[in-house]
Amino acid sequence: MAKKSNIRNFCIIAHIDHGKSTLADRLMERTGQVSERDMEAQLLDSMDIERERGITIKLTPVRMFYKAKNGEEYEFNLIDTPGHVDFTYEVSRSLAACEGAILIVDASQGVEAQTLANVYLALENNLEILPVINKIDLPSARPDEIKTEIEDVIGLDASDAPLVSAKEGLNIDDVLEAIVTHFPAPDGDDGKELQALIFDSYYDNYKGVILFVRIKEGCVKSGDRIKTFRSDKIYDVVETGVFAPNLTPKNGLFAGEVGYIAASIKSIQDVAVGDTVTCADAPCAEPLPGYKTVQSVVFCGIYPLDGSRFNDLKDAILKLQLNDASLIFEPDSSVALGFGFRCGFLGLLHMEIIQERIEREFGLEIITTAPSVSYKVVKTDGEEVFIDNPSHLPPLSEIEHMEEPIVKADIYSPPDYLGQIMDLCREKRGVFLQMTYLDKSRVRLEYNLPLNEIIFDFFDAIKSRTRGYASFDYELLGYERSKLVKLDILLNGDVCDALSMIVHEDSAYARGRTLCENLKEAIPRQLFEVPVQAAIGGKIIARETVKAVRKDVLAKCYGGDITRKKKLLEKQKEGKKRMRQIGNVEVPSEVFMQILKTNKD
Amino acid sequence: MSGIYVHIPFCKAKCRYCDFASFPDKIGFAESYMACVYREMAMRSNELKSYNFDTLYIGGGTPSVIDEKYIAMLVAAARKNFNLAENAEITIEINPGTVSAKKIETYLKCGINRFSVGLQTAIDSQLIEIGRIHNLKQFEQCAKLLKGRNFSVDVMIGLKNQSIADIEKTIETAAYSGANHISMYALCPEDGTPVYTDYLNGELPDSDEVAAMYEFGVKKLRQLGFERYEVSNFCKKGFESKHNLNYWKRGEYIGFGVAASSCISDTRLTNTFDLDEYFKCILSNHFAVKDSQKIEEAERKEEFIMLALRTSRGLNLNEYKTFFEVDFLREFAEKIQKVREYTEVSDEFFKIKDEYLFVQNQIITEFI
Repeated sequence: MAKKSNIRNFCIIAHIDHGKSTLADRLMERTGQVSERDMEAQLLDSMDIERERGITIKLTPVRMFYKAKNGEEYEFNLIDTPGHVDFTYEVSRSLAACEGAILIVDASQGVEAQTLANVYLALENNLEILPVINKIDLPSARPDEIKTEIEDVIGLDASDAPLVSAKEGLNIDDVLEAIVTHFPAPDGDDGKELQALIFDSYYDNYKGVILFVRIKEGCVKSGDRIKTFRSDKIYDVVETGVFAPNLTPKNGLFAGEVGYIAASIKSIQDVAVGDTVTCADAPCAEPLPGYKTVQSVVFCGIYPLDGSRFNDLKDAILKLQLNDASLIFEPDSSVALGFGFRCGFLGLLHMEIIQERIEREFGLEIITTAPSVSYKVVKTDGEEVFIDNPSHLPPLSEIEHMEEPIVKADIYSPPDYLGQIMDLCREKRGVFLQMTYLDKSRVRLEYNLPLNEIIFDFFDAIKSRTRGYASFDYELLGYERSKLVKLDILLNGDVCDALSMIVHEDSAYARGRTLCENLKEAIPRQLFEVPVQAAIGGKIIARETVKAVRKDVLAKCYGGDITRKKKLLEKQKEGKKRMRQIGNVEVPSEVFMQILKTNKD
Repeated sequence: MSGIYVHIPFCKAKCRYCDFASFPDKIGFAESYMACVYREMAMRSNELKSYNFDTLYIGGGTPSVIDEKYIAMLVAAARKNFNLAENAEITIEINPGTVSAKKIETYLKCGINRFSVGLQTAIDSQLIEIGRIHNLKQFEQCAKLLKGRNFSVDVMIGLKNQSIADIEKTIETAAYSGANHISMYALCPEDGTPVYTDYLNGELPDSDEVAAMYEFGVKKLRQLGFERYEVSNFCKKGFESKHNLNYWKRGEYIGFGVAASSCISDTRLTNTFDLDEYFKCILSNHFAVKDSQKIEEAERKEEFIMLALRTSRGLNLNEYKTFFEVDFLREFAEKIQKVREYTEVSDEFFKIKDEYLFVQNQIITEFI
């Protein structure tokens, strides 16, 4: 074990694609944590979805040993962080477990929206920040300009920033040395009462909940009785250990160290991430400074495609929640879709990932409804309610006014695309705040935007209008009064509750028309004509018609055709199974989510 | 009732819509092929001793393209190996471009008593377009040879550039030719055939247009005295194809030759589609079965329903009860309720309403 003064706990923060995981892999490889031939691409990203999408979702800590130029051996604990805006909370959790943060900036792209967002988080947590300029091997690299940019925009001294290429393994030693010299050793006293911060947890089928902790004060070893501050339950520690990078038992974790505790904890609900673990027999007086509670930003309904699999869906969501405390849900039911869940997510990416994991990891086919935000409804009797499900909106007569969540958006882009970005923000009801030139090739635009305008396709739109050059980040500001209406969709004369949405009055007509057009394309022809209508408060504002099918038969069916005909009908039957019966209309399950994405752009 | 089917996989030229087993370039093998068919029949003879067959259907390809003596020998072989009823319906498919008075005479002499003539369309340019080898004039000559005989005419709808007027002319040509049975098929562009390219290029009438053609055809045929008794089959009273009715009653049948199918004691068999393989198997005294499938009761019911609902009279409730020892209306009460708008129930039959016969897949899938 290293002396406390030789421990360095740090994380890496970066804008997406600036090379965080690659640098982490390189550090591990250089410290002999893994040999090159054992390296699977991007070690820290262990979930399939993470590798495929090139993103990090779950935190994965790892311990390394490094022999510095001064001859001493150091223990490094690297705590990886997610890069996406949706996972700000996860980032802040891991930051609180560290003393330092490596800030990676791409040598050709420079400071981006998430770079700044992450730096602010690190500063809030009093972390020492070490800027590292990556991708210097690229022909377009301009490290000197980027150094100036870091100094001007962020206000960090970047004169000594290591210039590296994580991909090529260039100058990695400079980073390792800088970790030793730049970051402080942890403080804390092994003899004090135990005070450990839970920065993550996951559920293991054999060991129960595994707590990822940073020991701030005191020590913990197997056999100890521990408790958390939030609940009074007491657990016996079964195992402690470190991340090497797989869980490796080590008896005893001491102040300053990062590791894990297994204590046969059965339910993840009993241990909130951000809570403090202490000794049950000699507890510390105060918990560590708390975290902000996670707030769901985006909501949607999730229903099993096959209604009889509601319980399987429930199990799946419960299991996912074991590893992802930020996923919230409650049972919900819809006239159109039956029994399911209303789920809350950190953002759109988080929502997509959960949906994908339910389908992949649990083999369940699901129907998801269009995402919604949470609206504040002030009723005529003065009562305030938050509504994230359009079908729960009180009757118009009871609504005094409605408010919608507003975000402050930061957009970084080359100046060539300013026009397109400003057009887009205007279409999305954005309020321009200010524009700053970072240098001659980069502009920062700040806007206030309604959250419900950016949850559908804003990110895609901004990427496509700027050929991928712009970056975007946002934070919630609060609620603002707005003229909102509920847009209903009627199929064959009946309102389909799962398709209702809350939209701004000014865009309601256009939305209604587009929705009807999209639905007309998406709903297959049935044996009868199906009118598709959009309505606001009972008034029809748009209509399309799905014509009745007129030919649906195999011309010939003799001895040799029977097997083939059977297969054809079975295929048709399979297709039907993917449909939901809404009244007497059969609607493909994708419709509920898909129609909103095809908002013609 | 049980039927015998024989597949003759030869033709002069492949039609542009054809995806059946037929080999225009292998017509030289006809003699050897027919020898194999006779042998295949002999191989099944013992096993089917207890069966009484009521129909024999010689299809293709173009059976009329090969020397008529092989057809005569074929009918003789069928009679020799199986109990084929004295008054059995014996049909042969013929192409107007391949017949002669002598051929017809031979056919009649050997016991063939029903002909199925492929007219397809009465518009010569369209005949060329779909790759048929005959023209309207040849059809008329063929019809003259068949005068007073029991024959059927095949016509097609949904062809490229086909108008309602073209269909009217075609149906009239077929009806006035003396036929007592007309089959009207909608073109089905199968993947891999040349017309599939036309389909991909959007050159074929769309499904709504085809539906309009079909509705027109049904009406026109009725005016001319041909009643629909199955989705694509129309006839004058009493001239239904017994052989085909047997398929729709889910009766048993045995097939011989390349690609032929059989359904015997709840097992479905399909012969190989490969001519060489067929030769090898039969010559070494092996059956040429490529696929054999036992059909369990639930699936038999599905087949029974799907086939019966193709017919105008519908599903015979008594026959269903005899077959499966359960009451159809009770067994499927819930599903019948679901499709009640599109179906009719009488004492004896459950049927799809006439106006929905052409969209029956939507209805039948409810029962699968």
